[in-house]
Amino acid sequence: MDTSDIADAFDSAVDEALIWVSDHGAFLFDAIRGVFEGFYDGVLDLLTLPHWVVIAVVFGLLGWRLLGLVPGLLTALGLAVCWSMGLWPETMSTFALVITSTCLALLFGLPLGVLAGLMPKLDHAVEPLLDLIQTLPPYIYLLPAIALLGFGPATALLATLIVAMPPAIRLTSLGIRRTPKEFVELGQATGMTGAQMFLKIRLPFAMPSIMAGINQSLMMAFGMVVIAGIVGSGGLGETIYEAIRTLDIAKSIDAAIAIVILTMVIDRLTQSLVPAAKGKP
Amino acid sequence: MATATPNADEVLVDCRSVWKVFGNRAPEAMKAIADRGLGKTEVLKEFGCVVGVSDATLQVRRGEIFCIMGLSGSGKSTLIRMLNRLIEPSGGQVFVKGREIGKLGATELRELRAKHIAMVFQSVALLPHRTVLENAAFGLEVQGVPKADRNRTAEAALTKVGLGDWMQRYPGELSGGMQQRVGLARALAADPEIILMDEPFSALDPLIRRQLQDEFRQLTKDLGKSAVFITHDLDEAIRIGDRIAIMKDGVIIQVGTAEEIILDPADAYVAEFVAGISRLHLIKAHSVMVPVDDWRAERPGTDIAGLTGTSPEADLDALIDLTLDTEGEGLAVHDGGSVVGVVTPRSLLLGVKGAQTTESARH
Repeated sequence: MDTSDIADAFDSAVDEALIWVSDHGAFLFDAIRGVFEGFYDGVLDLLTLPHWVVIAVVFGLLGWRLLGLVPGLLTALGLAVCWSMGLWPETMSTFALVITSTCLALLFGLPLGVLAGLMPKLDHAVEPLLDLIQTLPPYIYLLPAIALLGFGPATALLATLIVAMPPAIRLTSLGIRRTPKEFVELGQATGMTGAQMFLKIRLPFAMPSIMAGINQSLMMAFGMVVIAGIVGSGGLGETIYEAIRTLDIAKSIDAAIAIVILTMVIDRLTQSLVPAAKGKP
Repeated sequence: MATATPNADEVLVDCRSVWKVFGNRAPEAMKAIADRGLGKTEVLKEFGCVVGVSDATLQVRRGEIFCIMGLSGSGKSTLIRMLNRLIEPSGGQVFVKGREIGKLGATELRELRAKHIAMVFQSVALLPHRTVLENAAFGLEVQGVPKADRNRTAEAALTKVGLGDWMQRYPGELSGGMQQRVGLARALAADPEIILMDEPFSALDPLIRRQLQDEFRQLTKDLGKSAVFITHDLDEAIRIGDRIAIMKDGVIIQVGTAEEIILDPADAYVAEFVAGISRLHLIKAHSVMVPVDDWRAERPGTDIAGLTGTSPEADLDALIDLTLDTEGEGLAVHDGGSVVGVVTPRSLLLGVKGAQTTESARH
């Protein structure tokens, strides 16, 4: 048999499988699509219904409380720049995509990370899968997503969710596993139950690592959300994609600036939560 | 194998020929040890298992401070962790307050650890994001004691260890010695009968260490607690312990009071250890006196009534002072109204050198 025949057979099998899955699982994918888009629309409304100044001021205040006066002012200023470039709606829909997909990623990633941290066997099983997810080019995840969920934000969310999950799982698992031995002994010697050990000893010690995982997930989500512009995610990713197709260099640079501003704002804000979670000296 | 002691209610911790073998094939190795009497080296060769503790038997009585002294790798830390089952023994039994802890269910074991047998660690293990008070109240918090109650108890415990003014500080703001006091307060707050001390003062500098040793002994005696105290320092063991067990390579070589160990070391290893220890305050008159009849036989003309008197519990230091002050041929040791022996300058010097003059110290 010719090798190309094997490849052809494999390809047609994959095609058929995909058709079978989308035929028989239509109700499931419709439901997923409904939930994802509902969540996304809710977040987007929250960000776009108030006047842009309100949003800029709210994030400015947040930056001031968490980071200080100057970072707070810069945050508000950065968002004002996004508005002045005429990219406010796009910036906010990218923001909404990032928030939604990261929340979904954490919804699955954090519990899975905790379980993997508590069960070394699960950790060994999950590890190669996470390696695989992180090694494949992120574009790959758009294909099954678009085949099953169609063109639009839900596809972008699913692909982003897959890419954003690994760091949350990894760093949560690491944090839970690395509880200092003497504190585990302290817990045992004090007569703790399993739940007390988790809540009072393991979780507090894992917190910095978990927060770092959340921050990493957000950053991964940012990268992916922009790529997902190809599948009609809306937002800055789509703006850039359009600008590339029409060779509108100026517009693509504007959008890139908006992305950098948004990334920096979110990165700084979430990183500041890491020491805050650790508590007082 | 030890059997039940006559005054069993007084023995709080009873450790009967306990073994710990580490490694994947520990059960097989344990069986081979029991059946074929394999030694440490053979077990390692044949099963790839390490014998951590072998055939350890000891008893801790109510109100007693029991020191386990050994160098690193002697198995002392493993042994103390088997007393509250942080480490599961491979063989033997451990009884705490008359109950075999190997047979306790998870809930009973938690209850035992929470209320009856507390532990203090070398690393202290204070939670960095909690105040000193919250750390001291930690054990009670785990037991579900309401906040107001547990804070009151923890405050009392912190006051006992001299940290009354530091309750709202964080562990990072305290010196090493103070942190270890918090560790002790945390153990005391749960009001356990038994405290396990796992090399608590080893990381402290010598002056603070000595201060804490004295305070710990005083506090434990005042509160009527029993303690098992692990140390690699014989001076510390002598300073703190009522009785001392000396461990080497997982085996308890000798158990006894400081005086017994110094006067009658079980083997060359122990002898080498005690060689550098000052005997002046450890050896008592009853160990160095000669029998009255022997003394009379050597000096027929001298009257025993003319000698300066002393008690059997007087230490060498006191006996030397008395001998220097007196004109007589020795010191009469009075016990319950009669003279039980005589300390002569010669027997005193032998005592300082560590040689025994009578059999009375051997039990």
